[in-house]
Amino acid sequence: MVELATIKPFFAERQDVLNEILGRYPDYGRRSAIMPLLWEVQRAERYVSEARVHEIAEIIGIQPTEVKGVMSFYSTYHEHQVGKYHLQICSTLACSLAGSDEMYDFISEETGLVNGETDRQGLFSIQKVECLGSCTTAPVLQVNDTYYENVGKSRCKVLLDALRRGEMPEPWRERYGDNEGVEKAKPLQNTAKTGGNA
Amino acid sequence: MKVKVNDVELDLPPGTSAIDAVFAAGYDVPYFCSQEYMSPIGACRMCLAVVGAPRKERDGSWIMDEATGEPKIFYFPNPMATCTTAVMEGMVIDTLSDVTKKAQGGMMEMHLINHPLDCPTCDKGGACELQDRAYEYGSGESRFVFTKRHNEKHHALSDLITLDRERCIHCKRCVRYFEEVPGDEVLDFIERGGHTFIGTVEDGLPSNFSGNITDICPVGALLDTTSRFRGRNWEYDHTRSTSLDDASGSAITIDARTGRIERIKGALNTQVNKNWIDDGTRFGHEYVDSGDRIKTPLLRKNGKLEPVTWEEATHFIAEKLKTLSGDALGIVLRSDATLEEGVAAKALADHLKTGQIDHYPRYASSVIPANPASFNDLATAGAIFVMADATEEVPMIDLRIKDALKGVNPPTLMPHGVPIADLRLKERMPRKTNILTVAAPYRVDLMKHAGQVIDYKAGTEAQLLQQILDGSTDAGKALKESLTAADNAVIVLGAFVLNSAEASKLADDLAKATGAKLMKLGAMANSFGLEAQDVLPAKSDYSYPNMLAGSAKGLIVSGLNPAQNAEVAQMLGGLELLVVHDLFENETTALAHVVLPAKSGYEKEGTVVNLEGRYLSVNAAPVDGGQAVDFTGVVKELGDALGERLEGRSVRSSRRLLKKELELDLNDLPLEGTVVAAKSGKVSGLKPNSSGNALLVPSMVRPEYLSRNPHLLASTGGNALRLHPADAASYQLSNHDVIRVSVGGFKRLLSVHISESIPEGTLLLPALPDQPAGLVQVDVNSIRKEQFALEVA
Repeated sequence: MVELATIKPFFAERQDVLNEILGRYPDYGRRSAIMPLLWEVQRAERYVSEARVHEIAEIIGIQPTEVKGVMSFYSTYHEHQVGKYHLQICSTLACSLAGSDEMYDFISEETGLVNGETDRQGLFSIQKVECLGSCTTAPVLQVNDTYYENVGKSRCKVLLDALRRGEMPEPWRERYGDNEGVEKAKPLQNTAKTGGNA
Repeated sequence: MKVKVNDVELDLPPGTSAIDAVFAAGYDVPYFCSQEYMSPIGACRMCLAVVGAPRKERDGSWIMDEATGEPKIFYFPNPMATCTTAVMEGMVIDTLSDVTKKAQGGMMEMHLINHPLDCPTCDKGGACELQDRAYEYGSGESRFVFTKRHNEKHHALSDLITLDRERCIHCKRCVRYFEEVPGDEVLDFIERGGHTFIGTVEDGLPSNFSGNITDICPVGALLDTTSRFRGRNWEYDHTRSTSLDDASGSAITIDARTGRIERIKGALNTQVNKNWIDDGTRFGHEYVDSGDRIKTPLLRKNGKLEPVTWEEATHFIAEKLKTLSGDALGIVLRSDATLEEGVAAKALADHLKTGQIDHYPRYASSVIPANPASFNDLATAGAIFVMADATEEVPMIDLRIKDALKGVNPPTLMPHGVPIADLRLKERMPRKTNILTVAAPYRVDLMKHAGQVIDYKAGTEAQLLQQILDGSTDAGKALKESLTAADNAVIVLGAFVLNSAEASKLADDLAKATGAKLMKLGAMANSFGLEAQDVLPAKSDYSYPNMLAGSAKGLIVSGLNPAQNAEVAQMLGGLELLVVHDLFENETTALAHVVLPAKSGYEKEGTVVNLEGRYLSVNAAPVDGGQAVDFTGVVKELGDALGERLEGRSVRSSRRLLKKELELDLNDLPLEGTVVAAKSGKVSGLKPNSSGNALLVPSMVRPEYLSRNPHLLASTGGNALRLHPADAASYQLSNHDVIRVSVGGFKRLLSVHISESIPEGTLLLPALPDQPAGLVQVDVNSIRKEQFALEVA
């Protein structure tokens, strides 16, 4: 049990946000607010700590275990602090066939991290995730909330270098068979001089 | 509805599940997730069967099969989970076809993919649903050649329950149980898919009924920590009995091996506890096998108790009794003595011509109501008023009230027993909390689930009841109206009301005025029966407290320890004869002339009457108690020494007497017991405290045995003195301090538990058999902190 008294409640100064979220649901469906509340916390703090789980449970009037059960079901909620750039590698079928394992190995080698880890500086976290719903542009890498598609080794390298410099490149998106037609990939600016195997 | 299962045609009521139809027809399907008294969810997919039903034309006539001229059966495209499928008119269920067999075999293989198959070292082995079903329905081979998922094997969910996460097959019984039965959602699935495990983020499992998940787990994932690695299922002697822990008369199974009790499990009594028991009953058995039990009679020789034969002990008593004839001798039984023991004690008192006979603890008013409510009345009640700490006094009341809140009546029994899948039950059902009103002098567990909560000051029960009766307060008026308006209203009265004759009378009046039925929570397991059998003093001057105040010159005490009180101890020291019949040496045996070894509630043969007036059998488990006997045995041995064949010299002899009186053969009671109407006895001679700075409260865990129940002791942290932070500050106490304090003359060892929810100015501490629930004066100047020397290695 975490002592709430020692940690400032998250929603104490966000009563308007809290009321707006709770107002969306009828009284008997109050527990529906679990997910938006979790999301609110995560957006602000980049993860949901145990103390916040207890706080949300108390707001809704249920047991913390239930909040934890919901939270852990979705891989998008994080129990531990993730890095500034959360690299999410799609590892479901289409991406796997298109080389997501190789992408994972490459990123793992580059960053020195394995699935679920965050580096010491708090810059990168890597995580294998299930289908990101962009199978036509496999393999896909999601950085925080941004999709990077058709990520081969060289693109990956460029992307990681940019992130290391603190730049978040514009997402390159390639759509096929879409109503809006093909969106051309922006030419990659290979600004950083890359080493040996690039 | 006409349903055909394989070749058997049945007529079943609408709403029956297909799985129950299969069992009613005498066929079998495997299942793991369905559980009696819980919602069916179709999680394990084991109960698959080929199911079909006829369809109707638009005009309402059946679509006919031209070839046979019968209504055409349209089969579902895939096998259906029969537990979540309701029967339909003309439904056909096929559990024997190859399609069904293949589907079930496939599911079995799937369940075993990640199961460690460590049956040889698993406590569930031999009584495991997964193991049995794998033999019956599995193919015996697995095509899964990859590495199995590995996970924690010994995760302590709480101090009392151990979880093996590898064995779990995710049937969700335990998760649903907590939400549906006690209503405390303290366990849930964490993660998802193949990574799912059950877990909690609470501190342990904060529920009073957590142990039941070890009974319903279909595999060896959830195990009772007290019995882990103690024996194999086929080595246990399973004895079905009745719990003597509280007045509910809950059915239990005692599993004993080589003379020791290894575990207690819940047993089915559809009228009382269904399948469930509370944690106090389940885990509170270890004291029986404690090494310091008295196993032979002891006789004081030269100031020291020495082991002797029964003959020597009883001859000594018989000699003394020659001088102690008539009313000089007192006989007292503890209130969880069986009816047979009560009859024996009365026979002995009659033979010795003494009117000084009593049972204790008991209350100042009768526990036999004129219009008693049954547990099923409670579970179907339209309005409930609880004036008690019901969860601690008789925990089963708590669970059955929660049935009433769901508004689902107890199921109708099927030919195979309780329906396996009761389709009326759902996950997360809305609860009708407004039908429940709880009144107590402090915050009790049931208040979480109550629509109306009444706080009152301890000792003012009579005033509160008067207000309700008069309708002089808004809350009181509303309560009285709802009790009157409801079809089936029940009033539950606990120790605090029963301890006051005045409050008790007013409660009876309230019941009469509103037409509500009454439930009176007796102090111990057989309070009802011993009162009905009139194991009571001939006149009020002869009550147990009066005996201790000096009305007796000799005393035979069974199961009680009055010498905890220093004043009483002095008086007992001056007695001409003090015989103590008990399990352990204590303050009273230290003064006794003779100590006789007693049987625990698990070793006795007998009958108890629960708070409904239900006669229930208590059966003896094979436990090594040495030369211990119950009170009928004491009477027999004394009779032999006196040269008399006394009535009640054995359970059989007592039952012969009872049969004449009750017209009920106690050798032949049904498992569910028999309710016999009873009249209240002449209870008198008790003058409970009407003032004090502390309240002795009932507790689910028996405080007198807690120090000998190591697992319960660890999980509860010992008998607690609960108090408000302000009081703690004024007595300079902090949380978890262990203190010795004088409570109404009793020396008590308590651990401090500070909580905001305790009313300021009142200390709460557990009642003892010798110090029943009610107000008491704590001598706060006598508080002494225990010092523990911590050795640093």
